[in-house]
Amino acid sequence: MFHHRPLPVIFGFAAILLTVAALPPAAVAQYPMLMGLKPVAAQVGQTSEHTISSRYNLYGAHKVLVTGRGVTAEIVPVAKPKDGKTPNLTTLKLKFTIAPDALPGVRDFRLATPRGASTVGQIVIVRDKVVSETGNNDSAAKAQAIKLPATICGAIEKAEDVDIFKFTASKGQPLSFHVRSQRLQDRIHDLQKHVDPILTLRSATGSTLASSDNYHFADPFLATTAPADGEYTLEIRDVRYQGNSHWQYSIESHSRPVVETIHPLAVALGRDVMLAPVGHHLSAAGTLKINLPADIPAGQSWQRLALTSGPSNPVRVVASSLPTAVEGSGGNNDVKSAQPVAVPSTISGRIESESDIDCYVFEAKKGEKYTFEVVARRAGSALDPHLRILDSTGKQLSLNDDFRRLKRLTQDSQVENFSVPADGKYVIEVRDVHLRGGPRHVYAVRTTKAVPYFELFLDSDKTQLTPATHGVIFVRSERHNGFAGAIDLAVDHLPPGVTARCGRILANGTDGCIILSADADAKPAISNISVTGTEIQTAKSPSGPPLTDIARPMQETYMPGGGRNHWPVHTHAVNVGERSDIRSIQLSTQAVTLKPGGSTTIKVNFERAPGFTKNVTLDVMFQHLGTVYGNSLPKGVTIDAGASKTLITGKANQGQIVLKAAKDAPPVKMQQVSVMANISINFVMKATFSSPPLMVTVTKP
Amino acid sequence: MRHSPTGPVQQLLVGCLLLTTCILSGQAMAAGEPRFEVVPGKATLAGNFARVQLVVSEIIDGDRSSDRSTDLTRKVLYTSLNPDVVSVSRSGELLARGNGTTRVEVMGPGGSKAVQLVEVSVSGVTADPAIGFRQQISPILSKHGCNSGSCHAAQYGKGGFKLSVFGYNADFDRKAIIRERHQRRVSLVSPRESLFLRKPTMQVPHGGGHRLDQQSVDHDILVAWLLSGAALSSGKAYEVTRLEVFPKRRVGTVGTTQQLRVIAHYNDKSIRDVTAWAKYDSMDESILEVAPSGLITTSGRGQAPVMIRFGSQADISMFVTPFATNAKLDGWKNNNFVDELAAAKFRELGIEPSGLCDDATFLRRVTLDLIGTLPSPEMARAFIDSKVPDKRQRIIDELLGLTGDPARDRFNDLYAAWWTLKWADLIRNSSNKLGEQGMWSLHNWIRESFRTNKSFDRFVGELVTAKGSIYSSGPANYFRINSNANDLTESTAQLFLGIRLECAKCHHHPFEKYSQGDYNGFAAFFKSVGTKRSEEFGLFGGESVVVVKAGATGKATPLDGKPVEHPLDLRIPLAKWLTSKQNEFFSQNVVNRYVSYLLGRGLVEPVDDLRSTNPPTNVALMNALSKHFVESNYDLKALLRAIVSSRLYQLRSQPTKANAGDTRFYSYYRVKRLAAEPLLDAVDEATGVKTKFKSLPLGTRAIELPDAGDFYSNYFLKTFAKPKRASVCECERSSDENLAQALHTLNGDTIASKVAAKNGRVGKLLTAKSTHENIVEELYLATLARRPSAEEQAACREFLSASPSPKECYEDLLWALLNSKQFLFVH
Repeated sequence: MFHHRPLPVIFGFAAILLTVAALPPAAVAQYPMLMGLKPVAAQVGQTSEHTISSRYNLYGAHKVLVTGRGVTAEIVPVAKPKDGKTPNLTTLKLKFTIAPDALPGVRDFRLATPRGASTVGQIVIVRDKVVSETGNNDSAAKAQAIKLPATICGAIEKAEDVDIFKFTASKGQPLSFHVRSQRLQDRIHDLQKHVDPILTLRSATGSTLASSDNYHFADPFLATTAPADGEYTLEIRDVRYQGNSHWQYSIESHSRPVVETIHPLAVALGRDVMLAPVGHHLSAAGTLKINLPADIPAGQSWQRLALTSGPSNPVRVVASSLPTAVEGSGGNNDVKSAQPVAVPSTISGRIESESDIDCYVFEAKKGEKYTFEVVARRAGSALDPHLRILDSTGKQLSLNDDFRRLKRLTQDSQVENFSVPADGKYVIEVRDVHLRGGPRHVYAVRTTKAVPYFELFLDSDKTQLTPATHGVIFVRSERHNGFAGAIDLAVDHLPPGVTARCGRILANGTDGCIILSADADAKPAISNISVTGTEIQTAKSPSGPPLTDIARPMQETYMPGGGRNHWPVHTHAVNVGERSDIRSIQLSTQAVTLKPGGSTTIKVNFERAPGFTKNVTLDVMFQHLGTVYGNSLPKGVTIDAGASKTLITGKANQGQIVLKAAKDAPPVKMQQVSVMANISINFVMKATFSSPPLMVTVTKP
Repeated sequence: MRHSPTGPVQQLLVGCLLLTTCILSGQAMAAGEPRFEVVPGKATLAGNFARVQLVVSEIIDGDRSSDRSTDLTRKVLYTSLNPDVVSVSRSGELLARGNGTTRVEVMGPGGSKAVQLVEVSVSGVTADPAIGFRQQISPILSKHGCNSGSCHAAQYGKGGFKLSVFGYNADFDRKAIIRERHQRRVSLVSPRESLFLRKPTMQVPHGGGHRLDQQSVDHDILVAWLLSGAALSSGKAYEVTRLEVFPKRRVGTVGTTQQLRVIAHYNDKSIRDVTAWAKYDSMDESILEVAPSGLITTSGRGQAPVMIRFGSQADISMFVTPFATNAKLDGWKNNNFVDELAAAKFRELGIEPSGLCDDATFLRRVTLDLIGTLPSPEMARAFIDSKVPDKRQRIIDELLGLTGDPARDRFNDLYAAWWTLKWADLIRNSSNKLGEQGMWSLHNWIRESFRTNKSFDRFVGELVTAKGSIYSSGPANYFRINSNANDLTESTAQLFLGIRLECAKCHHHPFEKYSQGDYNGFAAFFKSVGTKRSEEFGLFGGESVVVVKAGATGKATPLDGKPVEHPLDLRIPLAKWLTSKQNEFFSQNVVNRYVSYLLGRGLVEPVDDLRSTNPPTNVALMNALSKHFVESNYDLKALLRAIVSSRLYQLRSQPTKANAGDTRFYSYYRVKRLAAEPLLDAVDEATGVKTKFKSLPLGTRAIELPDAGDFYSNYFLKTFAKPKRASVCECERSSDENLAQALHTLNGDTIASKVAAKNGRVGKLLTAKSTHENIVEELYLATLARRPSAEEQAACREFLSASPSPKECYEDLLWALLNSKQFLFVH
C-alpha cells in the first residue's frame, strides 16, 4: 500500500510564468500553532464546546484530527466576513464529542487549515462533569463553589493568579485531586515558559490540610480524607506566582479509588494474570484478575481494572509477549540470593523499601548477546531505576542509570547488546538510584536477545503542501547492535491528490527523505501518514525477512533563547492547503553526477506569489543554528556555501546550489535530495517548500 | 625563671625538715593551722626540662579541697629537699635538675607551721638530651605566639619567615627554621647565636617584640634542640589525646586568684605536666584575667571560663564570682523543669530575677516569638479580659497548634511560615543560587515540614540524604546551595551540630580538637554526591537530579567517631550518626538556637559555636532541655512549649537593681528588636495596610517570603537587615540598629503612607465614627497589644484638643506608637 507514484516530470520555467497572473493574492505561509484549549477537559458521553487559541490564523480550519478511539471533533462554523477579506482568527470554537466508552486520558488533536496543519493540541478526557472557572476566584472570600465529583478547568492566566474553589465534604470522605497542566505543555511548541502548579487544600478556618507541588512531574496530585464535615477550599496557582493565558489546567476531583500502577507491572498476553493495584483509596481493592487479548501489541498499554467500585482509571500495563516472571517474596537482595530467571523474559518486581536491591540470576553462553531494559518511570512507577549486570562473583560488567528513548532522556535504564563473556551465571541487579522504595516502586525488566535493528524518526510532525507544490519529510535513523544496512523508505495514508517519491537511507548515512507532491488540482485535505523503513537486504544480510520500523514523528519546539528541539508525538499529518507564498520550485536539472573532488551547480528558480517579497533561503539540508536535522546528501557530498547563492531577497527568485564531492566520497547511485526554499515564520520555525527530487550520483574516482 | 636556692644552709634546713616530716608521716598540721591540699601529692618528672606545677588549695571542710577553696599556691613556701634533683619556684613550679628522688616541702601560708611533703621522682635527665621539634619545640612556638595568624603564620609569614598556623605542619615549620634561606636562621655550631633565638630575645630587632627570655627554660630547650641536631621527633609520643585541667571549677569573689595545672595525655598513655607550655585565654575579660603562667585573677562578677590549649587539644576551667551571697527568690514558682534549673543558677550566682510580666506583655511576646506576628486587637482584648486561670498555657497551645481543635489551631500556617523563615535563612534558600523553581521547591518542603511539625531528626535526615529532582525534592536543593563536599561539610557541621569546622580545612582548629584529618573524614560523607540531567519537567524544565555517583564509595568518619562505610550512600550512616540520640551536639545545637530565639541569648554564644571551650552558661539547663528534646523525639513544638511555658520566659523585661548586672542568666527577659519581616508585618497589621511584594499577590506576609534573592526585594526589609542568605551563621541577620532604620521609621514613606492611607486603620475608625477613647484603645491594642493607661488616655485627649483635626491626631498617635520602643521591640 505504499505510494511510489512517480512525480510529473515536465516542469518548465515558462509554464509556471503562465499561471501566475491567474492566482489569487499570496497567502502567508504561517501554519497555526495551537496554544491552549479552554476548557481543556471534556467528559465522556458528552458533547461540549471548547475554545482553541493559537498563534497565527485559524480561519478556514475545516477538519480536526483526534488521536485514539472515541473522540471526534468538529469546528463550529465561523461567519464569513462581509468585506470578503480573510480575517485573522486566533481563537476558534471546537465541538468535541466523547463516546461513553472512550478511554479517559489525554488525546492529541490538530486542525487542518488553508495555511497548513496546525501543531498538536491536547484535550483531557475525564469521567466527571467539567466545571469551568468563572469570574474572580482569587481569594478565599471569592472562592467558586463546586460540587464533587467534578473536573475543574481553568487557567492560571496571569501573574499572581490564584484560583480558589470551595466544596463541602463529609468526615471520612476520600478526596483526590489530580492536576493536569504542565504535562499538557510539552507539545505546545511556542510556549516560552511552562507552568509549575501547586495545589493546596484548606479547612474552613483557612488552615492548610494538605499540599502538593510536584507529583506527576510538575503536576500536583493530592489524596486525602476529609477530617470533618464542612466546607473546604482548593487552591491552585503557579508555585512561582507566574501566569500565562495559555496555562490551562484540569483538576479531576472525586472520591473514587485512584490506581497509579500495578504489581506485577508486566502482564503476559492472552493469559489470566493476578495483579494488585497500587494507588489511593483502594482499601477494598485487593488482588484483581486481568487478561489482555493475545493479539494486542506488546509494550505499554492503557487498561482499566475491574475494581469492586467499578472500572478504574486507566493505568499503564506492560503487555508482554515474552515469558514472564515475578519477583518472589523478597530475599533476592544480593548476588548470592539472586532469584533464578530464564531469558529472554519479562521480569516484574518491586523495590519494596528504602535501600532494597533486587537481583535475578540467569545462565548464558559465551558470545550470546542480550538487551536488558527496565520499564518503570515510563509506566508510571515512582522508581528511578539503576541497572547493573554482574557476574556470579558480583563483579560489575555493565551499568546504566538513564537512557534515551525516542530521542528523549528517560529515567529508565537499559543495557543494550550485552555480550556474554563466558559460559556461566549472570545477575541482573535493579535498585532505585536514590535508594528509595515503596509500593509505587514497581518495574519490569525486559530481557531480550540483542539483534541488529534500527529506529526511524520524522522531523517534524507535519508536512504542508499546497496545490502543485512539493514538500519534504526527513527521516532519521538510529542504528543499533551493529545494523549497518541501507533502508528503503515508504509512506502510507497520504491524503487524496498527494503522491510521494520515497528515498532511502544509505548504509553509510543517517538520513533519507521523502518528497511529497500535491496535484495541481488537489483539494484541501489532511491525513495522518505512516512512514516505514525497510532494510535493503544484500547478499551479506542474514536470512529471514528484512527488518522494518515505523518512524516516530517528532514535533519541533521553539526553545527559550531560540533553540530548536523536539518532543515525540503520535502523528505526522500531511495537509493540503491553499496556494501560498511559493508556487513552485524548479531545478535546472533533476539529476547530477559528481566525481570525487568535483562539483556541480544546480540552478534554482522558484515562483513567488504576487506581492510576496520576503527573504527565501535555499538549502539542501534541514538545519537551524548550525545543527543539521535532515541531510540526505550522500556521504562526502556537501554544499559549497561560498559558491552557492542561497539567500534570495525581495522579488528575486533565482539562486543556485553548488554541490561538491570530497576526494574520498564513496560512490553512490541516485540518492534522493530535496532543494528546499525556506521562509522564516519566526526565529526557529520556517515554512519549507521542496523542489522536485534531485538525484545525486557519485561515481568512482 | 627563678628557682629555690640550693646553698649549704638551706640544705641543712631541708635535712632537719625532712627528719621532722618523716616523724609526722608526711604531714604536719598543728591544731588551728590552716589546712591545705597539694596537687599532685607525688610528682614524677621525666627528662631534661620537665616541669610540674604544684597547686595548693585550702581545705574548708572534710579532707579535700572543694570548688570554693582558696588558692594558696603563691602563699605557701616551697623548699626542695634536694635541689640537685629538682628545683622549685616560688609559684610552685618544679624543674627537673638531675635523676633521683627527693621531696619538696610545702609550708603553710603566713608563717603557718603546717607542712606537707611532696615526693618527687626525676628520671631521664641526660647530658645530651634528645629534643624533638614535635614534642618540645612546636609547643614553645605556640606558647610564645610565633605560629599565630598575626605573626609568622600569617598568609605570607612575617619578615620572610613563615610557619604553619598553630603548628599544624611540623615538618614544614622545622624546615622553615633550619633549612630555608640557606640556613640563615640557625647555627648548629653555635646555637645561641642563631637568628632564630636572637630575634625573639630582642638581641637583634624583631617586629614581634620581645617574646623569649634568654634565661628561660624555653630558651634552654631551644638551644638544646639545636645542639642535639634539630630533630623533627625525639621518638616519644607527641599526639595529645586530651587535657586534664585542675581545678575544673572555682567559685570565689572578685579578686580571687587561682593557679591552674594542666596535664597532657598522649596517645601512648603517657602524661606530662604542660602547665608551662599551655596557652591560656580568658573567655570574658570583664570577669577574669589570666597570666601566661596559668594564674587566674577574677575581676568581675558572673561566670566565665578560661580556655586552655595545648597540642591540638583544648579544655576549660570555669570561674564563678556570685553577684550576692544570698539571692531572694521569694515568690518564685517553678512552672516546669526549666524554672528549677534556672532558679538553681540564680541561687548559685546570687541573682534575684525580676517578677512576672503582665498578660498583655506576655501575649505580645509569645505571639511574636512563636508565630512572628502581632496579636490582633481582638485577640489582645480577649486575652487581657479572660479570667481563665491557665490562659497563658492555653494561648501557647493555640499558637503552636497543639489543642487538637481545628477551630483553635488556626495559627499553624503562621507558625510554619515564621519558622520556615528562620530555617530558610540558615539553610540559605535563595533564587540567586537555585533559580525560582528550586527555591520554591525547597521553601515548600521546609514549610510543609514545619506545618506538619516534622521531627527535627527527620527534617535533618531528609536534608542531608536528599536526592532526586531539585524541583520535586525540595531538600535536594541543599546540594545545590552547597555544591561541593567542603561547603557541605562546613554547613552541615555548623547548622546541625553548632560546630565551626572551616578552620580545620586548612589547619588544626585553634579552639577545638578537630584537625584536617577530622575535616577530611567528615567531608568524605559528601564526596560521592553529584547531579544528573533529567527531562521529567519537560524540555523547558532544566532540572537537575541529585544522585550518589555509582561506585563512588569509601569510608568517612563522623566527628569524634570511628570510620563508617556504606556500599551505596555514605550519607545514610551520616544521617544516622548526626541525628542519633547519643549525639549531644545535635540536640544541644537546636536547644541553644531556640533558647536564643525565645530568651534573647543562647546558653552558648555565639549560638552556632558549640565546643568544649565555649560552655553553656547553665550547663544543667542545657542538658535538661536537650534531654527533653531528645525524649520528645526531636519535637520542636514541644521544645518551644517547654521554654515559653516556663516562668523564666515570662519574666518582666525590666531588670531590677539586684539583677541589672546579669547579661547571661535570663533573670529578666531580654528585649529583642523585631526582625525585618515581622516588623513590616506588624506595621501592616497596625496600620491596616498590607504591603504588596513584587510578583506575589497582595496579602502575602513578609514572613511568608520564600526568597532572599533579588526576586522579591523590598527596601524596608533590606533596611532592617533581612539577610541575603549568604552565610549559615545566625549572625548574618544583624540585630544592630542603624541610622537608616531610624530615619525610615521616623520619616520614611513606608510608615507615613500606611498611617495616612484612606482605607487604613485610622481611616476606618474615623469612618465608623468610633469614640475617641475607643480609637485610642484600638490603636494601642493594634500596636502594643495593650490598652492605654489612664494617663495615656488623658494625654491623648489633650493631644486631640491640640490637633488641627481628629484625623491628624490619630495619624500622629499611630505614627508615635509605631516609632515607640514598645512597638519596635519584643519585650
